[in-house]
Amino acid sequence: MYTDQHYDIIVVGGGHAGAEAAHAAARMGAHTLLISMSLDALGKMSCNPAIGGIGKGQLVREIDALGGIMGVAADRSGIQFRMLNRSKGPAVWSPRAQNDRMDYAAEVRGLLEETPNLRMRADTVVDLAVEDGTIRGVITQLGAEFRAGAVILTSGTFMNGLIHVGERRFGGGRMGEGASTGLTSRLHQLGFESGRLKTGTPPRIDGDTIDYSVLEEQPGDVDPSPFSFLSDGVSRDQVSCWLTYTDSSVHDTLRTGFDRSPMFAGRIQGRGPRYCPSIEDKIDRFADRDRHQLFLEPEGRRTTEVYVNGFSTSLPEEVQFQALRKIRGLENVHLLRPGYAIEYDYFPPHQLRYSLETKLVSGLFFAGQINGTTGYEEAAAQGLVAGINAVRYLAGSESVVFRRSEAYLGVLVDDLVAKGTDEPYRVFTSRAEHRILLRQDNADFRLTQRGFDLGLASAPRLERMRERESALAGLRSRLAADAVSPAVVNAYLESVGTSPIGEPERLVRLAIRPQVDTEAMLRAIGRHDLADVRIGGESMARLAEVEIKYEGYLTREREQADRMESLEEYRVPTGFNFKAVSSLSIEAREKLDRIRPDHLGQATRISGVSPADVSILMVLLKGYRVSRETSGGQDASI
Amino acid sequence: MSVAVGDTIAAIATARGVSALAVVRLSGPRAIEILDSCWRGFDGRLADAATRTVHVGILSAPDGESIDQVVVTLFRAPASPTGEDVVEISCHGGAVVPGRILDRLLQEGARAAGPGEFTQRAFIHGKIDLAQAEAVADVIHAQATRAQRSAQKQLNGRFSALLGRLREELIGFCGLIELELDFSDTDQTFADLQRLRGILKQVQETVSALLDHGRSGDLLREGVRVVIAGLPNAGKSTLLNALVGHERVIVSEHPGTTRDLVEVDLEVDGILFRLVDTAGLRDTDDTVESEGVRRARRALEGADVVVYVFDGTTKLLPEESSLLKELEAGIPRIVVANKSDLIVGTDTQTGSVISFSARSACNDPNELSPLLNALVAAVVPMVRDADDSPALLNTRHRAHLRAAGEALGRVEAGLDAQVTGDLLAVDLRLALHELGSITGEITSEDVLDTVFARFCIGK
Repeated sequence: MYTDQHYDIIVVGGGHAGAEAAHAAARMGAHTLLISMSLDALGKMSCNPAIGGIGKGQLVREIDALGGIMGVAADRSGIQFRMLNRSKGPAVWSPRAQNDRMDYAAEVRGLLEETPNLRMRADTVVDLAVEDGTIRGVITQLGAEFRAGAVILTSGTFMNGLIHVGERRFGGGRMGEGASTGLTSRLHQLGFESGRLKTGTPPRIDGDTIDYSVLEEQPGDVDPSPFSFLSDGVSRDQVSCWLTYTDSSVHDTLRTGFDRSPMFAGRIQGRGPRYCPSIEDKIDRFADRDRHQLFLEPEGRRTTEVYVNGFSTSLPEEVQFQALRKIRGLENVHLLRPGYAIEYDYFPPHQLRYSLETKLVSGLFFAGQINGTTGYEEAAAQGLVAGINAVRYLAGSESVVFRRSEAYLGVLVDDLVAKGTDEPYRVFTSRAEHRILLRQDNADFRLTQRGFDLGLASAPRLERMRERESALAGLRSRLAADAVSPAVVNAYLESVGTSPIGEPERLVRLAIRPQVDTEAMLRAIGRHDLADVRIGGESMARLAEVEIKYEGYLTREREQADRMESLEEYRVPTGFNFKAVSSLSIEAREKLDRIRPDHLGQATRISGVSPADVSILMVLLKGYRVSRETSGGQDASI
Repeated sequence: MSVAVGDTIAAIATARGVSALAVVRLSGPRAIEILDSCWRGFDGRLADAATRTVHVGILSAPDGESIDQVVVTLFRAPASPTGEDVVEISCHGGAVVPGRILDRLLQEGARAAGPGEFTQRAFIHGKIDLAQAEAVADVIHAQATRAQRSAQKQLNGRFSALLGRLREELIGFCGLIELELDFSDTDQTFADLQRLRGILKQVQETVSALLDHGRSGDLLREGVRVVIAGLPNAGKSTLLNALVGHERVIVSEHPGTTRDLVEVDLEVDGILFRLVDTAGLRDTDDTVESEGVRRARRALEGADVVVYVFDGTTKLLPEESSLLKELEAGIPRIVVANKSDLIVGTDTQTGSVISFSARSACNDPNELSPLLNALVAAVVPMVRDADDSPALLNTRHRAHLRAAGEALGRVEAGLDAQVTGDLLAVDLRLALHELGSITGEITSEDVLDTVFARFCIGK
């Protein structure tokens, strides 16, 4: 063979999970090979040309804080930036960007190419080499065999991918790209169970055929916030999105195709995401609504292609086309490509450990849509976790697990591993019980030190975090120490509808009031020295304000988190026989045996496991721990 | 999740019901602090006391009213039954005092202990031999099963329906807030705060109604007061003993032995009865006995139901009939003709009088059925009268409801202070969690389900 055949880690797939996994593994020093069916498709945005959003934006900030690539690529290729939920509490402020689809993919490829220790290859993996329950490598369509100590499978929607447009259907992993077959049956052979999921994408249209004059414009933020803690703001001009609506004539037209809809005709077996319904689903389930909002999102700066967000569909192409032409502003639209639905294989994620290593095959990791998730951000987050843990696995070190109170990464992985999923899983802020701790503004404080210690986050990144930390501390101590007189501040206080003060008051006492915007107040009273503290384009006054206003809640939340997470110290030893614990309820025994929790915290989140069951396990696991300590690692007999 | 370690737990450690004394136990880092906040020790604060010492003091309600004079034993960690700071409170037994004391401790921040939790803590802190692990697990299992069974019983019917409605309201409320937080980038219109306030108020009202309902609720919660009265030697104490199956009361052939009131608890068809045995109702010169009769007359005044026992071998005396007529109208009275085993012939008593042999009832439980049925039948109209009365809240339920109510209070305060939805959600979720501890866990998935079902989500 003319090429290296031995690697530490092989990543199969070059989408958002694969790219992040390969980058993380290589940065941490592993000799890594990324195999993708097409190297031109690295970092490809298969669906909407956007990164971030509610919950997802927080994930991107976390990936970035740890030293991942998604935030950097998104900042460089962003064409519009918005901080969603700005009128809501800061715990749910969520950055989102429209991206130039081609630029994004190019940035990802560039970032991978400049990563040391990382090789790439265009090929299709058709088989896995497994010996004695341990992964040894992969075999490709071109007949090459690559050996590796760990393999990360990130095959997205490609495994037995089946595309539906009306009554037409054909195999494919994305429109225009073939599906990957064979791997599923190989995994079945190894004992994995699989399921089918479905997702959809809307039509793409030619922007030159849109009448923008009748549409509502949605510009980017005046003060755009980047994703990466390393970015120093956004400099390029932003591009607008446009809003339009369906109406009853559009709905009537769409209904004419319902009898040929693969969804309604039952040709699609896989379950789709409820929070991202197709337009036919919306019309069918919410028949009382006479219109639905659509977002026309530009696909890039150098293309006229436009993504019709909100119009995901698998109806016959001519129905899609006729319906689009009934929409205001789209009367003369040219369809570049129709929307479609895609069904694909996934492997229910209760088959994974918290490291994302499979329980069945040592050294084999799964990340991304293969685990039943949807979304670039969810995929990238898992890629990062799998990449880190594959390296840890090879080094024989303990796996890296994020707690639910520490990161959305932790919530995501725990939800998947502890509960499994039977619909495409998307992150929501409401899934995080400690949401107010997991803000986009503090992702670096939560994670960067850890990323640095792992060899993933760079020194400048750690430096930036420390800089922010000390600026924040300085600002908070000034706010706590400095007072302001009524004459100076009352005009501002009254202007925002809060009561004026009679005596000089310390700034922190005013910042705590809900109506007060600390940065604006500081400006109003002439304290520009405090108002103007900015790092990486981010206002430190804003960050300080969040911590001040939230303080009581944050303390309470942290205490609660600590209490709940004390259960995670109770590790379940490999081979622990749940079925033999007769004092557990029968349902709990079955569920625990199926899911095989890593620790007691996970057990509490399995439905059907009662607090009493957990108490029983706590006692038994404590017993196990003691017995291991006293008997030198012999298996507990309980 | 109620199994976290590190907080302070409390429970009544002795069996409920028939006992002169009861023990309420506290374990955890705040045990001493919690007790000191609700009692006045005769020799000072418990915080200043040495380990393994005994103290006497008055445990009182927040308004200063005394609940009971108690004896407190202090064990400081680690040399304590659980390995944590432990405070054991010995108080008077019966249905009311231990429950009130436990309530008080919970108000001060203790958590109602889960099944077997003291044992579990003892185990975790190495107080119990490793070999006993299985046994401990079985104890937890058994207690949980029993608790679940009794909770199940209590959750039947109206109470359950009320909680179910609360739950729906709160999930809906939470759903609206989450909708606004998680899906504001879609074209949804959100509920205005006034509407949210309306829902909140409704839920809070229901919670406080549950916590503080009227007399019939008290009847069910604290027990129906059944006073057993009758002439000396009619067999009242024998009847009582037969009912509870315990030799709780001193029984004697000599009239006038029972000089004080004796209370015992009895549960029939899910209704708690507190049986009061009185001294024989007869004027007497004996000072102790006359005091007994005075108390008995007073006990009759506070009765919810009167069981009047007379000697079936004789007739109901005219003065007995007039005494029964003296009783306040509306109080159900059950007349028992005792000593039916001694009655020769069948023409003795008919009508509303229950014929009964207390002596044979001690051997044959079926003998009790007519009386028990009459007791339940007497209570049913009282309960039915109060239409809003949810049945039988236990202490644990009340603790969870109270915590839910407090969390909802903070949500309301948050609305007043115009805090953002993410903060409102913190306490809203806490309220859901507390409620879930009674009705079954409510997960974020439940909330999302309501959102997906009710709103057209997604771009």
